[in-house]
Amino acid sequence: MYFEAESNGIQFKVRVNEKRSSWALSVQKNEGDWKNFEISKNDFRDINNAISFMFEGQSYLVDVAGNGTEFSVYTRGSYRNIKIFNDEMLLHESLKSGAIQGANDQLTSGMPGKIIKIFVKPGDLLKKDDPIFIIEAMKMENEIRAAQDATVKEVMVTEGSAVSAGTVLITFS
Amino acid sequence: MKFKKILIANRGEIAIRVIRSARAMGIQTVAVYSEADRDSLHVLLADEAYLIGPAESAQSYLQAGKIIDVALKSGAEAIHPGYGFLSENAQFARDLNKAGLIFIGPTPENIEAMGDKLASRELMKKASVPTVPGTEDAVSNVENAAIEAEKIGYPVMIKASAGGGGKGIRVVHGPKELASSFRACQSEGLNYFKDDRVFIERFIQNPKHIEVQVFGDKHGHVVHLYERECSGQRRHQKVIEEAPSISVPSDIREKLCSAAVKAAQSINYVGAGTVEFIFDNSTKEFFFMEMNTRLQVEHPVTEMITGRDLVREQISVAAGYNLTFTQDEVSISGHSIECRICAEDPKTFAPSPGKIRLCRVPQGEFTRVDGCAYPGYEIPIYYDPMIAKLITWGKTREECIGRMKRALAEFMLTGIKTNIVLHKNILEHPHFIDGSYTTQFIENELSNKSQRELFMFVDDHIFIISAAIKAYQEQKRKDTSRLSTARRWKTLGRQSQLRN
Repeated sequence: MYFEAESNGIQFKVRVNEKRSSWALSVQKNEGDWKNFEISKNDFRDINNAISFMFEGQSYLVDVAGNGTEFSVYTRGSYRNIKIFNDEMLLHESLKSGAIQGANDQLTSGMPGKIIKIFVKPGDLLKKDDPIFIIEAMKMENEIRAAQDATVKEVMVTEGSAVSAGTVLITFS
Repeated sequence: MKFKKILIANRGEIAIRVIRSARAMGIQTVAVYSEADRDSLHVLLADEAYLIGPAESAQSYLQAGKIIDVALKSGAEAIHPGYGFLSENAQFARDLNKAGLIFIGPTPENIEAMGDKLASRELMKKASVPTVPGTEDAVSNVENAAIEAEKIGYPVMIKASAGGGGKGIRVVHGPKELASSFRACQSEGLNYFKDDRVFIERFIQNPKHIEVQVFGDKHGHVVHLYERECSGQRRHQKVIEEAPSISVPSDIREKLCSAAVKAAQSINYVGAGTVEFIFDNSTKEFFFMEMNTRLQVEHPVTEMITGRDLVREQISVAAGYNLTFTQDEVSISGHSIECRICAEDPKTFAPSPGKIRLCRVPQGEFTRVDGCAYPGYEIPIYYDPMIAKLITWGKTREECIGRMKRALAEFMLTGIKTNIVLHKNILEHPHFIDGSYTTQFIENELSNKSQRELFMFVDDHIFIISAAIKAYQEQKRKDTSRLSTARRWKTLGRQSQLRN
């Protein structure tokens, strides 16, 4: 499962792969190198709703409070506020509100928000999973990616514009 | 007389502290609480507890009349005020006496004598306790200012009478700068405060907050229990305290402590009190600042190095007994440090009320925790954010610091922000380690650290990995439940088809 996270102004990308006896995680900090971590499930414990695990030879007891996309994480007298979301969560949310690249050749906004960045221009050939734009909603930046290969026909919004749910953002040819 | 039952007119950790000593003496305890404090630990620990009003202190913990009524109704013979709230309220002490109750604290006259800062400094000057050298009256012109500054000794501080907040205050290092600074203070005083009177006093270059614990009884005995250093403060709020101070040489210590005793004797002081001094770490001079006529938050460090239970002594003195020890019987053994653990943002120092999730308190050798936190406890927004005092003892200061680091590492408080990480930074700082830190230390060295620097103790990856695993598990649970919903629909469909 792929996540993007933000904490203390640092951007993280995380891949979580649950294996039979371990968690395999790859983490990228601020577009740096990917680092791989393996956390043994044998050592992974739930203690009073906190999690205990071994990390690089050290024993950690970590309390992860919150749910959905906002967490407060505490350990060893330190804490971080972390915003985290995955593509699936975003996709499900969008599908629920009935708006993402549909049968007709246009992409509409699934949520009210503000367009932060647009990565495409008319004529661009998009591959599945290519980023299209970043929309900010609920103080969260969400990257919307192409659901399938397509060619951009027209970009209907500009960076900085506020959109409501259902606004047509891009049409495809 | 011996008390059978006392009331504690306070809340939080200090109420608990008093309950503990009273119970150890076989005395019953009565707690009072506001509507916001029904779940507070002092209410749960006391023998009896009574609601006295709404959450706001003014309507509960400051309601002297209501508290006296509860004391009379419950049959308590004396009231311990803790610190803050009614502890330095002379009228409250008088009202108690009128109601036939005993105030566990100084006399109303003691409180009044030290209540007015300016008057108390005058009193101390008469008792020949050193005060910061300065002009008694306003200085009218530059010529007189030069004469006074020479008498006081440079560096001096020129202060507009109403000066404050950086306005109307100038530090002058030598005669050359005097004239311009004097005029600037005068005009700033006039412009900002409509008052051009200007005073001159000694500027303390490396100020440390050193205070002496004193104790008197009703039979004229006054002793000291040596000093505490409380230079670790921010915006005049103490953050970390220790005893003894490593900046005070032993010959100065003798002078300092006897000055404090002299101060207390001059007003026939009864009970626990603290004489605060400003200490110049460059010249090792000390000057009287004020006297606090109550038990201090940081009293445990004195208890740790002297082996005396100050609350027990307070109760016994209030009951009319002699002090249980003489000056000769008080000596310093080892070193003690106290860290105030507060529910606050360690960077902005903004209070962080909320519900405590996990609370694992340090244990083990030479470690003491005076606190009011427990798992599930919701910290009210109405009162002080301090939720625990962590105190350690060591044969040497170095050993004590090592134990404090160990204890801080064990302390787990989650669900709220705490200043535990700030204490870790303080204990690692060279100025704290070598003892040269002044009252400006936290402001200058630690307040402007970025959150990332402050939180250097734990790798970012730990937090991200933990959050990602939690988010993963949550997502998986959602997917599974969605799947089972789909399955249920299919089953329903099949069943209805069968019916048709």
